[in-house]
Amino acid sequence: MAISSSFDIARRALLAQEVALAVTGNNIANVNTPGYTRQIPELAAEPPTGSSDGVLIGRGVRVRQITQAVDPLIARRLLASLGDRGRHSALAEQLGALGETLNEQRQPSLGSALSKFFDAADGLARNPGGLGERETLLGTARALASEFGSRSQAIAAQQRAIDDGVVALAAEANGNLEKVAQLNHAIVAAEANGQVAGDLRDQRQLLVNVLGEQLGLHGAEDASGAIRLTAAATGTVLVDGGQVVRGISTRPLPPTPAGLDGLALHEVGFTTPAGGFISLPAAFDAGELGGLLEGRDVAIPAAQANLDVLANGVRTSVNSVLTSPGAIDLDGNPGVPLFGGTGAADLAVVLTDPRRIAAARSVQPGDNQNATALADLRTALALDTNADTVGDTSFAGYLAEEQGRIGSAAALADDTAKASALLTTQLEQERSAVSGVNLNEELTNLLRYQRAFQAAARIIDVTNQTLDDLFQVL
Amino acid sequence: MGIARIADAQQYSFIIGRSGELQLELARLREQIASGVKLTRPQDDPAGAARVVRFDASLAALAQHREASGFGTDVLSAEDAALKDAHDVLVRAEEIATQQASGTLSADERAAAAEEVRGLLDALTQVGNTELSGRRVFAGLALDAAAPFADPPDDLNTYNPAAAYTGAQQGCEVKTGSTATERVRITTRGDTIFQPGLQALHDLWRTLDTNGDVPATLAGLKAARETVSAERASVGARQAQLVGRADVVTGLEVTDEAARARVRDADLVATVASLAQAENALQALLAASGRFAQTSLVQLLQI
Repeated sequence: MAISSSFDIARRALLAQEVALAVTGNNIANVNTPGYTRQIPELAAEPPTGSSDGVLIGRGVRVRQITQAVDPLIARRLLASLGDRGRHSALAEQLGALGETLNEQRQPSLGSALSKFFDAADGLARNPGGLGERETLLGTARALASEFGSRSQAIAAQQRAIDDGVVALAAEANGNLEKVAQLNHAIVAAEANGQVAGDLRDQRQLLVNVLGEQLGLHGAEDASGAIRLTAAATGTVLVDGGQVVRGISTRPLPPTPAGLDGLALHEVGFTTPAGGFISLPAAFDAGELGGLLEGRDVAIPAAQANLDVLANGVRTSVNSVLTSPGAIDLDGNPGVPLFGGTGAADLAVVLTDPRRIAAARSVQPGDNQNATALADLRTALALDTNADTVGDTSFAGYLAEEQGRIGSAAALADDTAKASALLTTQLEQERSAVSGVNLNEELTNLLRYQRAFQAAARIIDVTNQTLDDLFQVL
Repeated sequence: MGIARIADAQQYSFIIGRSGELQLELARLREQIASGVKLTRPQDDPAGAARVVRFDASLAALAQHREASGFGTDVLSAEDAALKDAHDVLVRAEEIATQQASGTLSADERAAAAEEVRGLLDALTQVGNTELSGRRVFAGLALDAAAPFADPPDDLNTYNPAAAYTGAQQGCEVKTGSTATERVRITTRGDTIFQPGLQALHDLWRTLDTNGDVPATLAGLKAARETVSAERASVGARQAQLVGRADVVTGLEVTDEAARARVRDADLVATVASLAQAENALQALLAASGRFAQTSLVQLLQI
């Protein structure tokens, strides 16, 4: 074996340690880069060569490959959990907002507006001829209608905001699908040429995770390195290789059913490469999109419907008393309705002349029978909630039940979202434990590769001195 | 799966996330201390939120029942005072009738007595027209209404006590509870109370004016006085009923308010303790994050 081979061994070692130092440096540089997967230089001994006396002698070291520290199983579990987290977080946020809109724990509340209206009815019963009491009743009726209206408007605005969010999210998800397809193409091309595509893979995984949280996806990598994305709920293939098989798009729904503001809502569907639109609602039951759609199409209409039940109950009950047979206003005329409208959104006071309030059931001055009957509605089982035409709940009782319902739904969604987020955090920690950068570890590696580099340099020095000694003999 | 290694970003992410949670908790606790209320959203305690809505409605209704009881008590007090005056009028009339029944008085004295009886008739009419804040107490509490009893004319021979009352035929009740049966009548039609008195006084005046049989009028006066006395007793009973109801309502309000406070209001001692706990946790977390930097090789090796 020639002494010059020592130079080759040292040279290879220097190069290998340089690469290892560069990889370590890259890891350190990306310590705070979101989604970065630490890279590991895999060193391997060069195949030995035979010496003149038949002994196999090593030829030094080389960097066989640079790998990423990835656990595919964790990545798949994390992707699945992100879909759950997206759905539950979005729904919890919407139900929380709904809870704030219909919050009876802060003033002004619907309950306090109802109480003030019936306080005014009680006041009218104590002084049925008093114009002040009549004006007060009208004022509190207007305030009550306004409270119903403002809540309805807030609910409709929330539904519209969600719909806007659905459209924006679908567009964003569609863009992300395109990017994943492009990255698939780039990764396959790079790795086919023997290049390291770790950073591209990190970018793709970040996008896949974002998409998973947005839509709820399954992802599987094929032998070429491309990832195939499918909708978790229906298995519809979205991205295969470098192609977007099914894009995401939205279109306005038919006029019926419209949103609570009367404008069209949007349907989410798949687009074909030819530009067609495929309606498949079941595919969008997962991820943030699924949570938004459930909030928009289920929770919010239900809350509005329940508010309508209360508003209609108040309207019909009050009007029924004021227009009951024998009900007489201050001037002896038959009673007229106080409220108009068809629900909470358009509940309005249609009676403007306080003298027209029918507080009496006779023309006798001081008769307060009808005003007392009106005041009785405060606690009467006036609300028919099971459509059997018989009242079964008081207004306050219904409001309390509704408050409990909304609170329970929001609390349940919040708890589920927290549990889902906790699982995701756990999986992110597991992923980070495998793929994240630990500076102490990298600095130790840095020292290790530095020392190896120094030692390799020393090999050159010693070999050089040996040659010097040999030359001096000559 | 156990965690074998921890990435730096993960540690900082944990510190940021946990400190955010603690700061939210601190804000929530500070709001509770400032407002004294722990239940601010239905999702905080759904069942409690529903109960608070019911307590609020119940307290609002109770406040109206208390108000109604107070109003009714005021009206009945005014009635009682008026009825006492009416009673005094009739007692005086009975005294006059008894004196005149002895038959030893002169014509002038009979004329003077007749004149006094005429005054008593005016007085009883005024009692029947008693007002409370512009409302006729013995005419269904009608507001700004004409006097229910017509004043006796100068010529009492044309006076008809049976037709003197033109007020409301409708009594007034106040609502002292949630059910339709929880009502207390606070007015009585003036004609049922005063018409017998007016008739008896008119009969006495006519008898004195015509030198008739005065003793025959005593029975009517007595019956009229007893009618007024009976109404006074009734008013007293209803006043007691309203006062008792107001006491009950006050007790219910105290109970409801205490129950609502247990559900809705913050326990300040516990909240302040929780606040201190959260502040300590945040300080410890921040201190730990400082220590975390010290355990880095970057610092130890002074790279």
